[in-house]
Amino acid sequence: MSILVQRSDVGEFRRRYRWMVLAVLTTFLIIAGRLVQLQIIQGDQYSAQARRNIVREIRLATRRGVIRDAYGHILAASRPSYDIYVVPSHLSLERTWPRVVRLLGLSKSDAEEQRVRIAELSKDPRRREHQVLLAVDVDRDVVAMFETQEMELPGVDVVPVPVRNYPYGETAAHLVGYMREVDPQDLMELEQRGYRSGDRIGAVGVERRWESYLRGRRGSRKSIRAMRRMTNREELEAKYLEEPRQISPIPGRDISLTIDIDLQKSVERAMRGQVAGAVVVVDVRTGRILAATSKPSFDPNVVSGGRGVEAVRDAFRRLFSDPLKPMLDKTISAAYPPGSTFKPFAALAALQAGIIDPSTEVDCHGGFEYGKRYFRCTGVHRHVELHEAIVQSCNTYFYTIGANERMHIDRLAKIGLTFGFGTKTGIGTNPEARGRMPTRAWYTRRYKGAFRGGFTLLAAIGQGAATVTVLQQALAYSALANGGTLYQPQVVRSIETSDGTVVQEFPPRVRRQIPIDPKQLAFIREALHGVVIERKGTAHAETVEGADMAGKTGTAQVSHVTPKGVDPRRTWYFNRDHAWFVGYAPAAAPEIAIAVLIEHGGGGGKHAVPVASRVVRDWLKLRDRRIADHEPARDAPEGEDGT
Amino acid sequence: MASPERISFRGGPQIDMPLLLCSVAIATLGIVNLYSATSVYIEAGRRAGLADIYVSQVYWLVVGGLLAILAAAIDYRHLERLAYVFYFGGLVALMLVFVLASDIRGSARWIQVGSFNFQPSEFIKILLILVLAKHLHDDARTEPRRWVDLAIPIVLTLVPAALVIAQPDLGTALIYLLTAASILFMVRIRRSSLAWAGVVAGVSAPLLWKYVLRDYQKARITSFLDPEHDVTDTGWHALQSKTAIGNGGLTGHGFMQGTQNQFGFLPDQYSDFPFAVFAEDWGLLGCALLLALYCFLCIWAVHVASQAKDRFGAALAIGVGAMIFWHVVFNVGMATGLLPVVGIPLPLFSYGGSSLLTMMVGLGLLMNVAMRR
Repeated sequence: MSILVQRSDVGEFRRRYRWMVLAVLTTFLIIAGRLVQLQIIQGDQYSAQARRNIVREIRLATRRGVIRDAYGHILAASRPSYDIYVVPSHLSLERTWPRVVRLLGLSKSDAEEQRVRIAELSKDPRRREHQVLLAVDVDRDVVAMFETQEMELPGVDVVPVPVRNYPYGETAAHLVGYMREVDPQDLMELEQRGYRSGDRIGAVGVERRWESYLRGRRGSRKSIRAMRRMTNREELEAKYLEEPRQISPIPGRDISLTIDIDLQKSVERAMRGQVAGAVVVVDVRTGRILAATSKPSFDPNVVSGGRGVEAVRDAFRRLFSDPLKPMLDKTISAAYPPGSTFKPFAALAALQAGIIDPSTEVDCHGGFEYGKRYFRCTGVHRHVELHEAIVQSCNTYFYTIGANERMHIDRLAKIGLTFGFGTKTGIGTNPEARGRMPTRAWYTRRYKGAFRGGFTLLAAIGQGAATVTVLQQALAYSALANGGTLYQPQVVRSIETSDGTVVQEFPPRVRRQIPIDPKQLAFIREALHGVVIERKGTAHAETVEGADMAGKTGTAQVSHVTPKGVDPRRTWYFNRDHAWFVGYAPAAAPEIAIAVLIEHGGGGGKHAVPVASRVVRDWLKLRDRRIADHEPARDAPEGEDGT
Repeated sequence: MASPERISFRGGPQIDMPLLLCSVAIATLGIVNLYSATSVYIEAGRRAGLADIYVSQVYWLVVGGLLAILAAAIDYRHLERLAYVFYFGGLVALMLVFVLASDIRGSARWIQVGSFNFQPSEFIKILLILVLAKHLHDDARTEPRRWVDLAIPIVLTLVPAALVIAQPDLGTALIYLLTAASILFMVRIRRSSLAWAGVVAGVSAPLLWKYVLRDYQKARITSFLDPEHDVTDTGWHALQSKTAIGNGGLTGHGFMQGTQNQFGFLPDQYSDFPFAVFAEDWGLLGCALLLALYCFLCIWAVHVASQAKDRFGAALAIGVGAMIFWHVVFNVGMATGLLPVVGIPLPLFSYGGSSLLTMMVGLGLLMNVAMRR
């Protein structure tokens, strides 16, 4: 190296200069290499990070759609909950904090715990700029005080958060649904649909099924975030923010249900004396659900988080440990043996097969001997024709049908399937039980080839392996009432924008036209009317005054297995049979069908009929009042509801 | 004694133009960069307070320039005679810090004289170089040295180092040690003595960790070694500095346009991280120029040393070169995340009178040696 030519003798120093130059060059090359790495190789990455540093995207809340009943009553709407946040870097723990504690009325221990937490966070440069949640759903008066003292409370933010409010509480809770926070597990998938951690999503019922309509779309606004004060914010935003700088939120669609909340309330009133059960009321002319209740119920206001996170946790702990299963939608999610309510269908099958005619007579001695077994009847009915057999619910008559060599069990299964049993109705609000119409093949599979004729006898009276849901029952009886039209059940009548413009309507959809001989049907319906009005009818004694209806009682035998965790002193309850009443009203010109199931209610006549008949009575009054007031259901198709 | 009039005389001292131009270039870039670094503090279009410190930096540069001329003009051989006097004077000043210090950010480094705050530890850097050069000048040998032969320079280094560690100011102590080591690198040392030095360093490191380093200093080192799990301010600063440098890309965002700096994400951008500001504004090309200038300065110092008339001049030049070199390496290494965060200023870039004057006097001394080869 020419620059290192030495002029003077400095002894030992001479040999070191080359090494020094080499060391300097090497070091600077390493630094240069590092710069190439940071600025060229990882340059884009760091530029993106720098951009993220200064650009903040604020998500703008949207309004979740309102859920209304058929007459415009609000069943679910969002109200603002005022939450208090603090920003640790801006909050003075000496001056501002004591005021916050006083305004919120925090207890000494709570206040100290929060103070320590905030002090901790304010040391963390990555988190001290972030809002920390202090209190949820603060009282309006407190909010007002926070807002008037805003200037003296730097670092404290009052943030309105929409909370779902259900004005009718437990009423129709399973059907309307509730909200939950999105699960961290689902978040991966939901993020693509725009959900973020902490967002709420419909958990069950209409809230879940129609989530995508109700939800709306969040907006966003970009802004510049600086660690220091800026004077020329507009100029900088124009320079650094990419378009679009703001996306307005789109409010969710409103949904009008087919439910009539007044009828719903009267259903729940009628169920007041019962512990557990389910009721479904449908319009036989449309398949629309007018009321649906499952008991016991829950308060969607609490489980949706309206009373705070602690309340949600407590409520779920209680609800899920309850042996009466309050969270289960018993109208569709559970299937029960239909019991005697299946007899009209068994009778129709026998009539269609020509096994019997209406005048076929059977002598009932209180039971029926078949092979080595004796099948019991509910009483001794003596000489009964089909009409009396249905009215008095004579098992012997139906055992005789079942025992006929031309009555195959598949015939019973087939008529059940035709009326919609054993298949999901597709209502969609909650997970649906399919129910079961057992065939010979099913029994062969289940009992390892040993099919016995006794299964057919039991099937004829609705016992055995057959199960149905409450909704299936209401729809099947609707078909009996309307001359054989099986409808698709509907809960949603229409979807509207927030200003009330209808975007989509849901006209009734027929699932199937069931071919029934009108004479046979008329005969069955006369018998069903007899059940209610004749002195010997199983529903006669318990039917309240003014309930013009027809139908069939039923008692579904319960397998004597008591659920876990039940107090032994209460096992008698769980061993009682389920009580059914399924029917329609008015008897002569049916408009509604009603299915009532009282879990462990004992006999159907005694427990289900009073409920059903009260509902029918109330419905008749309601109908007359609506006609008098000219109050049509919103967007009701013409000719309905008396208009 | 050399007088300024004689400088231009043919055959007499000649101004070393490459050294002068290189120094002026760096100083100019330093002021320009300080202007950009403090533009964050402009309020309502006015430069005031911190936004105005580039003006004081210019004043310091002028004062430093005059001191540099003085340091260059007096023949360095006069300084040789006074080296020990200066050195002990410096030590006294350093000890005065403990008595008179004004406490700034948890460490006492400054002495107030009138309205100025002086940082004696900065000036000690020069005095240490002078005294070590003086020692090596007087202690000329040809055979390799033993361990004990280096006892005096080691003590001369460790005394001020211990004093600044007590302040506590780890960075400055590190500069003392590395500058002294660089000067001592020039002498021949026995292999066995070198091995012993290694053993001593190995043993003392854990002891230093346990008894000398303060918690915040340890935190800086652990945060450097494990940046992922770091939540301290230090790790945050290092990350933001790297982000700023990376954000500069090849050509940079332009003068006063770097967003990391302009939006206040760079901490201590005018003292500890001016390099990040520069890198964000001017990109890799600007950085390459700046590093080339520093690199040239360091190599030029070696060149000046190699042509010096005597051992004192050679050691002096190497000392100044090493001082500049280690400052640049640590400051840029810290800004680029190669080294832990230690508050070591970037020569002629970081804001600070004492640091600037020290560098200018150092450059003056280098010029002094260069002029009299």
